[in-house]
Amino acid sequence: MYELTPVQWVIHAITHPVEGFEDMRWKKSGSLKIAFFIVFMLFLAGIAAERLYGFNHYVPYDKIFNIVPYIVKSFVIFGAWTVGNWAVCTLLDGEGTMKNICIYSAYSLVPYVAQLFITTFLSHFLIRDESVFLNIIAIIGTGWTAVLLFSAIRSVHQYSAVKTVFAIILTIAAMLIMLFLLILLLFLIQQVAIFFMTLFTEISYRVKS
Amino acid sequence: MKKFFKKAVTAALSVILCGYTAISASAKEPYDVYNYDRWGEPIPSQAGYTAERAVSGYDLEVGEFNMPSDIFCAFDGNFYITDTGNNRIVAVDGEFSKAVEVYDKFTFSDGRETTLKKPSGVFVSAENQLMYIADTENSRVLITNLTGNAVGEITKPDTEIYGSQRTFNPQRVIADKAGNVYVVLNNITTGAAMFSPNGEFMGFYGANRVQPTAEIIGDYVSGIFMSEEKRARRTRNVPTGITSFDIEGDFIYTCTSSSTQTTDTVKKLNAAGKNIFAGNENIFGDYSPMYDTSQNRVLASAIVDIDIAEDGNINCLDLTMGRIFQYDEDCNLLFIVGTNASQVGGFRQAAALESCGDRLYVTDTMKNTVTIFKETDFGEVVHKASTLHNGGYYEEALNPWLEVLKYDGTYRRAYLGIAAAKLRSGEYEEAMKYAKLADAGKIYDKAFEGYRLEFIRNNFEPILLALIFAAIAIAGTLKIRKDKKAALSAEKNKEE
Repeated sequence: MYELTPVQWVIHAITHPVEGFEDMRWKKSGSLKIAFFIVFMLFLAGIAAERLYGFNHYVPYDKIFNIVPYIVKSFVIFGAWTVGNWAVCTLLDGEGTMKNICIYSAYSLVPYVAQLFITTFLSHFLIRDESVFLNIIAIIGTGWTAVLLFSAIRSVHQYSAVKTVFAIILTIAAMLIMLFLLILLLFLIQQVAIFFMTLFTEISYRVKS
Repeated sequence: MKKFFKKAVTAALSVILCGYTAISASAKEPYDVYNYDRWGEPIPSQAGYTAERAVSGYDLEVGEFNMPSDIFCAFDGNFYITDTGNNRIVAVDGEFSKAVEVYDKFTFSDGRETTLKKPSGVFVSAENQLMYIADTENSRVLITNLTGNAVGEITKPDTEIYGSQRTFNPQRVIADKAGNVYVVLNNITTGAAMFSPNGEFMGFYGANRVQPTAEIIGDYVSGIFMSEEKRARRTRNVPTGITSFDIEGDFIYTCTSSSTQTTDTVKKLNAAGKNIFAGNENIFGDYSPMYDTSQNRVLASAIVDIDIAEDGNINCLDLTMGRIFQYDEDCNLLFIVGTNASQVGGFRQAAALESCGDRLYVTDTMKNTVTIFKETDFGEVVHKASTLHNGGYYEEALNPWLEVLKYDGTYRRAYLGIAAAKLRSGEYEEAMKYAKLADAGKIYDKAFEGYRLEFIRNNFEPILLALIFAAIAIAGTLKIRKDKKAALSAEKNKEE
């Protein structure tokens, strides 16, 4: 049973919210390549939803284009989620490896990414009065991803439902702490850089005069 | 590659040249004329008004003005200027060539004479031809006729509602068609005092709201847990008082000069005192305050006077930067005029603003002059277009708007007007194009709705055919898949 190709496994996982990831775990399948592809699509979808959305629904700030927020919203957040979840669940007797956490979480993002693309596409055909359809699609896509993410974490670590909720809350806290430390680090590096710059300017003035 | 390089150089040069000419075109003004683009950022623009001349008291042969703090254009075409420091009202003819009358003392009907003490506001009613003077330091509003005879006066009301501890220092005064008198009082935050035609106090009108800052919300939350005594002792949150107002038809427009408050800086009040602008998210004055490094302070707009022109445009006078912001009746920004400078067209302390015909008149209490601004050709076209547009004549406004774009291709209001006109005349594709350029999502949506309907109507048969084909194709692939699956399982069953 379940002799599926990697792509078929993705479809199986997202169409079986309860058992899909369990089957995947049991069959030891899941491809890191596809996972990265999905995260990359998340990155593209973020840009598409911001810049290519129907003008009648959303007026973007298109004077400048800054790619950093999109990178943060996709790669950085996903990376922080994976690392944070791995760090937390290693302490909480989770059975998942970093690789599996990454794969399962990425697979569960598919409905969300699909929702972003579909609403962006449909927004060019619907008027404002019909935006309720877009909202419904967005809610279904996001909700589905939330359910899948829960299921993914539950099966990758073999947790009970309550423990999964607990783990997810701790993971979010860990993500915040990591991002905080990252900003702190950047800030400190900046300070050090400024210090050396001033030192250099000061010395160069002395040398000149 | 070489060709590309050539092209790039030409493009860069033309951009520089265009920029240069744009600057020199408005170099007549002692400041850089600007307006806001569709992203809310300041960009160079054409001047809508240009300073014509500055008139001092010597020009009018009445001696130097001393802090002229208010100016009013009356029904008879004359201007009435409150010469605060000289305790008089100067009436000037419409051309500002000579003084018609200088009012410094008035006689009551019983023969009593009275003088003014630091008057700071004047209003002449067209209905009963009476002059209302806010006689600040005499704590009264003096009502006189135009020949210099006092008809009556309004003093501090002796009622509980007004409060005996409050002062009565009128700053500005207006009267509506029915003869009700509205008085803006110094240091009173509960709104303008309203008096009936016979001088009876009727209550306050149009108080500002307290701005919901984080501090005030925090105070409210902590107030829930406080004892009655503690609550009574802490500082109260009061809104900023009204600074000035103007009346146009049935509406009273008020402005509040506070550089920190952003709610209720400009209000349009109906007869019931309800603010019609309350729901809109309009910003009056500069969008973002400028930080002045030399003074280490933030220069936020403080609107000290407001004036409604005959065509419904709202003129706001900003004291901080010495600018006049002109809005149309829907609060769309039209022009920004003036600066703080010594030249003609600049102010040192702008105090009051009045519009009459195609000119703006601004008094300056430090220069002691009245600066007269005249509408430019560009201003004339914009006013014509916006008046037509606001009157609902979108299609008639189309040509003036196109004319506006010839003067200034970045003038956002024009794109809005063109989009509305094209939408009205059913040119949906054009309307969509211009709505996009104006960042107007709502107009774009309406135009798109029409465009979509038109598209479906014109291409109904191809669309229907495509749909049928798609349905057949989907059904076909599903069938093939099903057959394949069935065959596969049959094979499997066989093997087992």
